[in-house]
Amino acid sequence: MPTTTRRPIGDYGLIGDTRTAALVSSDGSIDWMCVPRFDGDPIFGRLVGGSTAGFFRAGPARPKRVMRRRYRAGTATLETTWETDGAWLTLIEGMVAELEGRLLPTTILVRRLIAEGGPADAVIEFDPRLGQARAAPRVEKRGRVVTCSWGTLAAALTTSPRFPLEAGRPVRVTVQPGSPLTMVFAVANREPLVYVDPISAWSLLQIDEQRWGAWSQEIDADLPFRDAVVRSLLTLRLLTYSPSGAPVAAPTTSLPEQLGGIRNWDYRFSWPRDASIGIGAFLGVGKHREARSFLAWLLHASRVDRPRLPVLLTLYGKHPRHERTFDDWPGYAESRPVRVGNGAADQHQLDTYGWVLDAAWLLTRDGHRLYSETWRAVAGFADRVARRWREADAGIWEIRDEPKQHVHSKLMAWLALDRALRIADTRRCSARRCEHWRTEREAIADEVRSRGFDPETGCYTRSYGSDDLDSAVLVLPFIGIEPLDSPRVRATIDAIARELDAGGPLLYRYPPGRDGLPGTEGAFVPCAFWLVQALAQTGRITEATDRLDALVQLATPLGLYAEELDPTSGAHLGNYPQALTHAAFVRAALTLRDNTRHSPDEPGSSPAQTLDFNGMT
Amino acid sequence: MDWAGWALFGLVATAVLTAVMIAAQLMGWTRLDLPLMLGTLVTEDPDHARVFGFFIHLAIGEGFALGYAAAFALLGIATWWLGALFGLVHVGLALTVLVPLLPGVHPRMASDRAGPASVAVLEPPGLLGLNYGARTPLVAIVSHVAFGLALGLLLKAR
Repeated sequence: MPTTTRRPIGDYGLIGDTRTAALVSSDGSIDWMCVPRFDGDPIFGRLVGGSTAGFFRAGPARPKRVMRRRYRAGTATLETTWETDGAWLTLIEGMVAELEGRLLPTTILVRRLIAEGGPADAVIEFDPRLGQARAAPRVEKRGRVVTCSWGTLAAALTTSPRFPLEAGRPVRVTVQPGSPLTMVFAVANREPLVYVDPISAWSLLQIDEQRWGAWSQEIDADLPFRDAVVRSLLTLRLLTYSPSGAPVAAPTTSLPEQLGGIRNWDYRFSWPRDASIGIGAFLGVGKHREARSFLAWLLHASRVDRPRLPVLLTLYGKHPRHERTFDDWPGYAESRPVRVGNGAADQHQLDTYGWVLDAAWLLTRDGHRLYSETWRAVAGFADRVARRWREADAGIWEIRDEPKQHVHSKLMAWLALDRALRIADTRRCSARRCEHWRTEREAIADEVRSRGFDPETGCYTRSYGSDDLDSAVLVLPFIGIEPLDSPRVRATIDAIARELDAGGPLLYRYPPGRDGLPGTEGAFVPCAFWLVQALAQTGRITEATDRLDALVQLATPLGLYAEELDPTSGAHLGNYPQALTHAAFVRAALTLRDNTRHSPDEPGSSPAQTLDFNGMT
Repeated sequence: MDWAGWALFGLVATAVLTAVMIAAQLMGWTRLDLPLMLGTLVTEDPDHARVFGFFIHLAIGEGFALGYAAAFALLGIATWWLGALFGLVHVGLALTVLVPLLPGVHPRMASDRAGPASVAVLEPPGLLGLNYGARTPLVAIVSHVAFGLALGLLLKAR
């Protein structure tokens, strides 16, 4: 049985085809990959399923130092180079995203080993296992193809040049300079396997690489931290399920928020909140098609529930199955349980409406006419907010406890009605309906200013009557409920930065451990980006830039972020890579770009007064 | 063969089928929207698409009604239960053959193989239309049985 040393979460790189994704460690091992979609069964699940849950390693025969690891610029192709005895061994790998119109399998993973400076000893370990049972496949050799099947699911590994590969057993091979070893892993589900010649697959990967390069080239050249922002946008796109347009929150389940802890959740779903934040991120860099696609998914997916907005949905807009645990899986770093499904699906989270309506407003403001159906849906959401904003909810942090009157939720309810009114100015809307929204918006403002504000500290709190702070309240400068130069805004930002400080540029989302669960958690990375935005929006450009610079340094060497970071060790924690974190980073960079144009730090100038929450312009 | 009956009652039965489906959508049972799916063959705007799609659906419904009427004529019997039985066969074919084939011909419908360059705006229905909600097959069965039942009843009455 293969033995494994646990790798840090941040050691992994992401490759994907916008239908599923794989996580590859720096020793060339794919330790996580679900098929045929992000939310399918893991076929390589060693990351959380233990050493018998499958992996696919292509790398040096003995542990070697990584000389260089990077994505090819502006693409989704990953390159890892090791120094072997007097030579360099490089693994180039990626997945083929564009298939339409060609006889190709739905999932094609291409890996190529090349040697430079002399022959390099490599090892290939191919051990696919499926699902919770970690089921071994029925293996057959058909010529140079190794096929593995589990009922209607089949996978094939083809190599060029041919060598005696066996599933479940390491095979040593010497890679000669000028003679690369190319491997193609193809998966078919409920359809015949299509064998792909490794050389053709390599060409497909290169064509894909050019497409990603062109996609990246279109991104605004003047963005601060452009390379890092492009990597985040590519990650967001790789985490968008192309057949439906759904953004998946992360490709993993149960990577822990605390090593050995119980905060292990399944993020292989789509949150309307994330989709809305993504709309702002893509619009801000001129990727209008992606932005529209997110809204289209959101409205289509929420159709059976309207006017209710579900907290999260499957990639095809269905309700997730009930949360369950894989009790026989050891979890990452013994972090149990490993969960599948997400119990937060049944919660009431008021803030979601605010994110969605703001995204709709952003598209409207950018000149994208909302279809009448879209407007009817959006107005329906606003009606629901106007009706239900007084109710307690689970809040953005999905606390698995009694619902509370969360200040952030009320702020977002205010935002929802405000943006509905703005859109109503461009559409037909009855005066009575608009007046109702206006009245309720003012009622929210009155209530949150009196019950959600602590006069002693001069700042907004986490919930009514609470002394706790909440990093989510950093939305305050963007929504327009308070003037930017209000002492309440500044005091709240400063208090959150001080009280929830996790060291360096990091923040906790709320006082650690105050969520009804045992144990604690790391710093929540999106909050750190929200602080950057808040500072930039209120004219504190130098502070914002310094913090953003420090946060960029905390990304993995490949420019990826998990949901959380251990403030002490800097280790990435939680599901990985996480779309919300990357979207928050992009938006922070956009806010900085847009407010720097106004040079607010210069004497006599003022911060940008145009308030747009998702777009942050 | 009752040509006048086919012409009129085909439209009526299609309207019944559409009504059942719209009612199911309004009740939150399914996202299957045949007028939208058919109308987006012509335009991307969902509101306009539904209008186009309604008429396309009527035309297709007439086509299917012709098959029902011909079958009734061949068997020499038209009853509600035979119509309902035809409806079951019809929906079986629709869910297992016709709907899954749509991504191959629909310019605005993605397939499970769609990549980042896809400009499709409609998600694929999947086997039995399950991507549009777990109760989609049930809604499709009820609406198609209603279609056949209406045709059987109306053609019998003549």
